[in-house]
Amino acid sequence: MAAFLIKRLGFSVLTLFAVLTLVFVVVRIAPGDPAQVILGDQADAAAIAAMRARLGIDRPMIDQYTSFLFGAARGDWGVSLVTGRPVIQEIIDVLPWTIELTLLSMVIGAAIGIPAGVWAAVHRNRMPDYVARLASLLGLSFPPFVSAILLLIVFSLMLRWFPVISANRSTPWAWFQSIMLPALNLGLIMAAYITRVTRSAMLEVMQEDYVRTARAKGVPWPVIVWRHALRNALIPIITIVGLYLGILIGNSVLTEIVFNRPGLGKLIVGALSQRDYPMLQGMMVIYTFIVVLVNMLTDIAYAFVDPRVKLS
Amino acid sequence: MMTMGRAAQRPLKGETMKQVYGAAALAAMLAATPALAQKTTLIVGMQTQDAGVLDPHINSGTPGKALLNWMFNGLVRIKPGQLSPDAMEPDIAESWTSSPDGKEWTFKLRQGVQCHHDNGEFTAEDAAYSLKRAATKDSSAFSSDYSAFDKIEATDKYTVKVTLKQAIPTLLGQVMNYHGGNMVCKKAAEALGKDGFAKKPAGTGPFMFAEYVPQQYIKLVANPKYFRGEPKLKEIIYRFIPSDAARDLAFQAGEIDMMIGRQEQAWVDRLSATPGVKVVAFGPAEMSVLHLNMSQPPLDNIKVRQAIAHAIDRNGIWQFRGKNISRPAVSVVPSGYFGTHETAPLLPHDLNKAKELLKEAGHPNGITIKAIHTTLPGMMSFMEAAQAQLKRAGITLDITPVEHPTFHQQIRQDLSQIVHFQAARFPVADVYLTQFFHSKSIVKTPSAVTNFSHCDVADAEIEAARSEQDKAKQVALWKTAQEKIIAKICAVPVNEMLMLWAYKDSLDLGYELKGSLNLGPPILETTRFTK
Repeated sequence: MAAFLIKRLGFSVLTLFAVLTLVFVVVRIAPGDPAQVILGDQADAAAIAAMRARLGIDRPMIDQYTSFLFGAARGDWGVSLVTGRPVIQEIIDVLPWTIELTLLSMVIGAAIGIPAGVWAAVHRNRMPDYVARLASLLGLSFPPFVSAILLLIVFSLMLRWFPVISANRSTPWAWFQSIMLPALNLGLIMAAYITRVTRSAMLEVMQEDYVRTARAKGVPWPVIVWRHALRNALIPIITIVGLYLGILIGNSVLTEIVFNRPGLGKLIVGALSQRDYPMLQGMMVIYTFIVVLVNMLTDIAYAFVDPRVKLS
Repeated sequence: MMTMGRAAQRPLKGETMKQVYGAAALAAMLAATPALAQKTTLIVGMQTQDAGVLDPHINSGTPGKALLNWMFNGLVRIKPGQLSPDAMEPDIAESWTSSPDGKEWTFKLRQGVQCHHDNGEFTAEDAAYSLKRAATKDSSAFSSDYSAFDKIEATDKYTVKVTLKQAIPTLLGQVMNYHGGNMVCKKAAEALGKDGFAKKPAGTGPFMFAEYVPQQYIKLVANPKYFRGEPKLKEIIYRFIPSDAARDLAFQAGEIDMMIGRQEQAWVDRLSATPGVKVVAFGPAEMSVLHLNMSQPPLDNIKVRQAIAHAIDRNGIWQFRGKNISRPAVSVVPSGYFGTHETAPLLPHDLNKAKELLKEAGHPNGITIKAIHTTLPGMMSFMEAAQAQLKRAGITLDITPVEHPTFHQQIRQDLSQIVHFQAARFPVADVYLTQFFHSKSIVKTPSAVTNFSHCDVADAEIEAARSEQDKAKQVALWKTAQEKIIAKICAVPVNEMLMLWAYKDSLDLGYELKGSLNLGPPILETTRFTK
């Protein structure tokens, strides 16, 4: 286990270094001048040049790259060109919002998706299966910003159960009200993915000899389905959850914007539109780090679920 | 009365006592209700991810300007709700005088004006510091506006003297509560430094900075020491809500009291029909202009430029963009500015004439012109409408859509043959003419601003008008400048878009809103909720 972790960590550091270099180059290749964005459309060429000097983006590229790398190694990711606040601080301020939303969406997705997938599989080619398949198809094809608006119209405007501005942590109840709709919005999409994967994994497992043997031995049907079959179907489900967790953070961009929640998604959109180089760099590193971490956790989870998997 | 008097003398039984106490409590509650229900927090929804740098000498974006306007004063101000520089009135300065040649200006400041966050009294020292800061390119985005400033001195505790190298038409515009004219407090600015000040700005306005919550809001609180009196509102929450749909929903759900609108006629129609909502459309209007790059073929040929001008149907685009939220352009300077030629000889819409001119220019089969354009939806829909109109005359507009910051960079690199620019400026003709049509502002030059057409036909008139002290002569010079630019077809002005805001009708702004240079409704010490 320790050797596995060290090896994976080594790879992760290499990945991060490659990403840092790539990100540094990519954000600068993109056209658009941060100084122009900050100063607005009335600034003259002299004012823009002065602002570029003040931001340090007029220095030679190699000079900027080395200070960026040394800074990153020290944990100093620079200062946002737009707000003047340290990048790390900006990220730390909003990171918990994204983490809680992502985790809750995942829980909702799994809580709905796994039973629905199992239900569909055991009722293959019958009404429950059709319903689950249709619902998951709808979930996959529905753009998250449309479902977000629909949820807001129904639950916030018509029923008044939840606020439109979903960012209130003043009390546990306010927190619950704030997070439920955005988490549901993302969770339903995730549920659609999980339903489909669970269904197909379960269908495969249900054909296995040990299931037939268990039935022949008279093991109760729920025990066969939930204990024997589902446990063996979990590996592909965990894979999809792990993969989707990375996508989920990306998908949270629109959800955060529509529900007006702080988060990494909103931060990266702002940084992109304002050509905030240090912020973009910091964000890319964080995203890479999260994806690497999730992949690692997924690998570890395999070993817990399936004793045949060895971490080596 | 008698009966009640008798009843009051009798001892009351338990049940009756309860009823009396209950009634009394209810009466007290009802009496207290108006006071309790009186809202004192204004929640504003703004279309932005973040307000940006909170330094009035740096921030020129709409979200920043509207907010900073509630925190800062100028030496003078345009009467709240008005737009014309004729409506100038005292702000921190209680009076001012100028020398006959317009080169020396003396401002007498009010006494007892207090800086926010206990930064002491605002004196002439602060005013001089603030103007010098605005004139320094290291600390200001508007330094070029102050290039005519020679000396700025505090001659005594309450007197500031500005000496100019040459007279300019907009001196009061540069010391008003707009851009570099916003007065910052010296002690705070020096103690906090440029970056620190932007995180805790200190002015003298009715509201002062209290809290910044990333990606959520900025909170301002009432300035109890405001020189015009303590504001009736206790705090303003300025929420960043970039999604148009989310902002509308939050407004409908009552979670925000005021919001910036969408520049769509349908939005105005829908909100106007909602009970309890007031929708306002006001200036300065942003004028959409097609700047024609005369330095490159085929637009170096005036006949091609004339063909484009004849092909554009200003009324058609006005209908398309919305009758109540826009209006046709009248000149190369937006309507209503001091010095606008309101009846300028713009070429009329005439498709046959356009085709004829193209033929004369040697393009009987039509031409293709390339344009780089932003993907911002409002601007893009305009460009697509213009594209359709030009197509009818045989002019193919080949649009390359790019992201907004890329657009701004590439149009300044002379990469677009036609540049669609939508902008409002300080409402004096000189500013628009200088930034868009003076040769010093031509893109890719050291003094570049936004002259995309390479126009230089009216330099003499623009410069002469700047220092002309006789108002009539000054206006005549601007009129000639506009006529020359129009005759040369440096640009085709098309239409003007108004600013749109909506707010609950229980909010009494305290003035009539006809215009706001800072693009948001001024929130004054008198602004209050009526219920």
